[in-house]
Amino acid sequence: MEEISANKFVKTILEIGSVLMESGAHCDRINRNLQRVADKAGFDLEIMLSYTAISVTATDKYNPLHAATALRRVKNHSAHFGIITEISILTWQYAEGAINFHRFVEKIESVSSPPRHPAWIIRLSVGLACACLCLLAGGDLIDGSFTFIASLTGLIVRQFLVKQNFNLMIAILCSSFITTIISGLDALTSIGRSPETAVATSVLFLIPGVPLINSIIDLVKGYYPTAISRGVFGGFILLCIALGMFIGMTLIGIDNF
Amino acid sequence: MVIEILRDAFLSFFVAVGFALLFETPRRALPVAGFLGGMGHCLRYALLQSGYGLVSATLCGAVAIGLAGIVFAHRINHPPVVFTIPACITMIPGLYAYRTMLASIKVYSAGSGSDTSAVIQEMIYNFILTSSLLLCLAVGICIAALLFRKKSVKDIRKIKDILK
Repeated sequence: MEEISANKFVKTILEIGSVLMESGAHCDRINRNLQRVADKAGFDLEIMLSYTAISVTATDKYNPLHAATALRRVKNHSAHFGIITEISILTWQYAEGAINFHRFVEKIESVSSPPRHPAWIIRLSVGLACACLCLLAGGDLIDGSFTFIASLTGLIVRQFLVKQNFNLMIAILCSSFITTIISGLDALTSIGRSPETAVATSVLFLIPGVPLINSIIDLVKGYYPTAISRGVFGGFILLCIALGMFIGMTLIGIDNF
Repeated sequence: MVIEILRDAFLSFFVAVGFALLFETPRRALPVAGFLGGMGHCLRYALLQSGYGLVSATLCGAVAIGLAGIVFAHRINHPPVVFTIPACITMIPGLYAYRTMLASIKVYSAGSGSDTSAVIQEMIYNFILTSSLLLCLAVGICIAALLFRKKSVKDIRKIKDILK
């Protein structure tokens, strides 16, 4: 059994916890991943999860004087399921004894900046996804093409504004406004069969699906503080989207939504 | 009828893959997410066509996604949430969520003198519908933990593991 200092252990646990929280894992998953590591390393772990910070206390199972407590801020919330997958696999590898603690810490540090999918593939397929949603909602191919262009432009606008360090809510509001303007051109000119589906579905790529679903999962599993925080975060994003749509629709002059 | 269900499954395949790419799901799990999304959404469509309500049809679709996710989690060795969440996003009640928010904006723009009760009724109806549909999706995603008394999907390898 290798000797692990409590300080080093707590630092690693907080690193894993905050990275998981930032990439959109629900609290039960974070808790299980951390407990798995603690069981193997021989520590008793008490975790406090909130949406903006994580605090843990680790106590050595065989030497109660050997303990440490620390807190770490969770910086920004996005969705990155690649990180969740990697950390889940690594914690299982460590728990099953395939790698030792030193190697585990090295690997965890390299997970924090993982490869991403090519930006243009994401943009094009998100546009395609929204176009498919438009077709599912009963639009024809013309409505679908308007939705494709609107969502593609909207996503580029959002990514650009987030990169320029604008507030997330401003980025979402502008993105939803521009998306509605472009898809509203369909309603203005009445080319498509049911232009209102284009307006309704083109903003769907902005929907805070991960926070909203995670909020309910936390509620089901009994993590009430994070459930409320996630719900409020998701609800506020929805409000910003609706505000952007409202401004866009008022400008174009559609009101029968 | 069959052609319409297949068209529905085909379209929602791309929806699920698109959102999976947005959430940076690993490449190996992308086709799984698409397949589950297509399966869940076409099941919901078939149930809606045969007269079920929107909420019960969505619950069936989400539970089907959650159960099939357990099988695929072992097959490709990924945690199930990375492909069940994008698959469930195909059924997310975005339209009703926007209607809730737009109706609450309308309460202001209609003014205090006019009859706002219809607007408030619309807002509450859409809010209840949105939260019911979200609850159904979340139940579908964590169905394994709710039904099978196991902490991790990794403990469910065979049918008999469920009963232990």
